[in-house]
Amino acid sequence: MSADTQFHVHHDSPEVRGRRERLGVRLLIVADGAFVFGLIFSYFYLRNLDANGGWLPKGAHYMSALSGWWTAVPLAIAALAHRTGERRRDSFKALSIITLVALLAGAYYQWHQLAHMPFIVKDTGGFEGAYASMWVLIAGANMFHYLLGSFIALGLVLRNGRAKVDAVLETWRLRTAGSWFTWIAISGVACAITTSFIH
Amino acid sequence: MTTVEYQVSSRPVPNPAKSLITKLHMGTGMVVGAIFAFGTYFWLRSGEDMTVAHNVNRVLLISMFMWSFGFLIGIGAFIGPFRWLIGKDLTDEEQLFLAGDGQGVSRYFRYCTDHKVVGIQYLVGVMVMLGAGGTLAMMIRTNLLSPGSKFVTPVIYNSLVGLHGITMIVAMIVVSTGPFGNFILPIMIGARDMAFPRLNALSWWVLFTAIPVLCSAWFLGGIPTGWTAYAPLSVQAGPGMNAFIATIIIFAISTAVAGANITATVVTMRAKGMKWNRVPIFVVGATMSVALAIPAFPTFMVSMIMTALDRTVNTTFFDANFGGSGWLYAHLFWIMGHPEVYVILIPGVAILMEIVPVFVRKPLFSYNAAILGFAGISGLSGLVWAHHMYMSGWLPLLNGPFMITTEMISVPTGLIFLVILGTLWRGKPWMKLPMLSVYAFLWNMLIGGITGVYLSDVPADNYLHGSMYVTAHFHYTLMGAALTGAIAGLAYWFPKMTGRMLHEKAGYTAFWFTQIGFQILFLGMFIAGAEGQPRRVADYAHTYATSDRISTIGAYLIGIGMITLLWAVIHSWRKGDVAPQNPWGAKTLEWTVPFPVPLENFDELPVITSDPYGYGRSEK
Ligand SMILES: [Cu+2]
Repeated sequence: MSADTQFHVHHDSPEVRGRRERLGVRLLIVADGAFVFGLIFSYFYLRNLDANGGWLPKGAHYMSALSGWWTAVPLAIAALAHRTGERRRDSFKALSIITLVALLAGAYYQWHQLAHMPFIVKDTGGFEGAYASMWVLIAGANMFHYLLGSFIALGLVLRNGRAKVDAVLETWRLRTAGSWFTWIAISGVACAITTSFIH
Repeated sequence: MTTVEYQVSSRPVPNPAKSLITKLHMGTGMVVGAIFAFGTYFWLRSGEDMTVAHNVNRVLLISMFMWSFGFLIGIGAFIGPFRWLIGKDLTDEEQLFLAGDGQGVSRYFRYCTDHKVVGIQYLVGVMVMLGAGGTLAMMIRTNLLSPGSKFVTPVIYNSLVGLHGITMIVAMIVVSTGPFGNFILPIMIGARDMAFPRLNALSWWVLFTAIPVLCSAWFLGGIPTGWTAYAPLSVQAGPGMNAFIATIIIFAISTAVAGANITATVVTMRAKGMKWNRVPIFVVGATMSVALAIPAFPTFMVSMIMTALDRTVNTTFFDANFGGSGWLYAHLFWIMGHPEVYVILIPGVAILMEIVPVFVRKPLFSYNAAILGFAGISGLSGLVWAHHMYMSGWLPLLNGPFMITTEMISVPTGLIFLVILGTLWRGKPWMKLPMLSVYAFLWNMLIGGITGVYLSDVPADNYLHGSMYVTAHFHYTLMGAALTGAIAGLAYWFPKMTGRMLHEKAGYTAFWFTQIGFQILFLGMFIAGAEGQPRRVADYAHTYATSDRISTIGAYLIGIGMITLLWAVIHSWRKGDVAPQNPWGAKTLEWTVPFPVPLENFDELPVITSDPYGYGRSEK
């Protein structure tokens, strides 16, 4: 391109771009889904194998079966708030703040759980057995979902009314974000079901 | 699918905006990355007892990830997401700058979103990786020249084998979909760029950060585990293992991003009229490959994160004393590991299928059979993983079913042979450089495939597992078939990517040295393996001396061939014959654009009215 010519920046229509972005995010959700599947598979594999009776910690220190559900609830609230906001755009601002607050609160609670795990071996700082190992890994995956979700939710709050973008494209982007929020809620529930099976 | 487009802006080419983006490049990335890595290292180190392995592992691993993170900050990878976050999206000027508009060679060292730049970056990166992996292979074979060799110590030998393995696997996963999937594929489908240009740059630069991490394994005492990194050996291994773990995790992120990008590009950005049955077969193959990687690779990441946790914070995923299991590792690894073979193989085969019609001037024989073959292979590849675990003691009851699913893969593989042979049938091949690889592929894949059937057979595997026979088998498939396909792609698309023809004579010389050396090396290895020589062992009994010496001679011939090819690439790139726009007279879209390919590829987006292999039919 020589400097004296006009250069045209081509953009596909917002409709096309919006669909495309949603497909991209859904494909990344497939990858993340395979990751979560790997965790759930491993949990049940080690639980059913119970090698040398080492699945549960010796001193019966384990999380309550509800622990996973408590971290899934904020994910579900966030997804619900966002999904509602998608449909009722006039109240999106308030709902997007609810989404963000739910995710941040959930992230805090997840961190709190991780900071107070009952099954750390005092002298080595290690984990008492396979259940404890699996639990911390699943909690870590939830934490990753919370943090990435919070980033997206924060963006949606900050951008609302600020960003100069095509309205159609922005609507598509809300749907795309909705795909992610729905997925992390589903994943949270799947992990909660998994960690309900302790013994 | 609507492809309505409209122009939002039309203005003089802007001066690069005075944005932070314009000041960042690979150098700033490396500086920030190094500061992050060494800063983290010395900061964490000061508070830890560094005589405890867990602490060393923790400090090293975190430092490695901080290198990658810091590099990405320093090259500007997070500017886009950050600007999105605060509601100030990148302007058209900034996007144009990111696309490398008017930046000459320097754009290859930036966070450049132009798919053609990313393709060249991948090409050079892959050649570096193959060169490194090949050098390691030469050292392995030199040590195996004669029994009792003291060329390297057994510990170093283990590292050579492991690093050769993982370097080659990583290189081979991206060898076709990296350079050609990025440079050629969007043009082939009539698109202006990839679906997500910034993710495209991200996938390359994330992969780039893995390279120094993997190299650092060498200075941290190497890896003793082979590329499969089986637990619990990998949990007990020295500090070099951290580099392996970090490499895999970083690489898995790169492949997920690249896979989503290429798939979305092909699904949503094909030219008007390019229905699914008009998509060039390379595009189909590359898409199936990356789409297969999306669900397959994360389980490898899971297994590596588990290994990392076992090594750093005393979890017990793989410690059978505390409820862990080495089988778990094997499952997670091979649920990724077998599909990965086809992630590597399918694009290589698809390149050859793209080439044959062009050089015999006949339509591709049974396009549908080719698709069915790829789809069948991809589908079945998820159901065969435990054939790597026949002898592990895990549920011998299931050995039979896994044997059957594995052997079923021969059927779609047969379709692929049928398609290539059918296209060749009664054709008059134009024997140019790319075409040679087609015949090499047919021969190599036949041997690789049939020996795979033997290995899938439980009684035969009882004897052959863990032997050099296995090593020879998968080299026939991965190198003999997939790499041969990729080299054909290089010869075929070299004119489009560099504007010059690949040196024909040097190319022929390279081909014959490589292929003849290859047969000598691995046929020798089949014999040694069938006689019982174990793989991954630094020394061997005198019985195998002749076979091993033959193999090493073959390896050196490959070395000569590959150096010749490297010379041909460098020489031709710099001062080869200038290529015409369509040197092969091919009908796919990439040959309709001039060299250098303009920033957005097409002035007017093409409209497709027929399939891409209409040779011998009347022109429109
Ligand atoms: Cu396999």
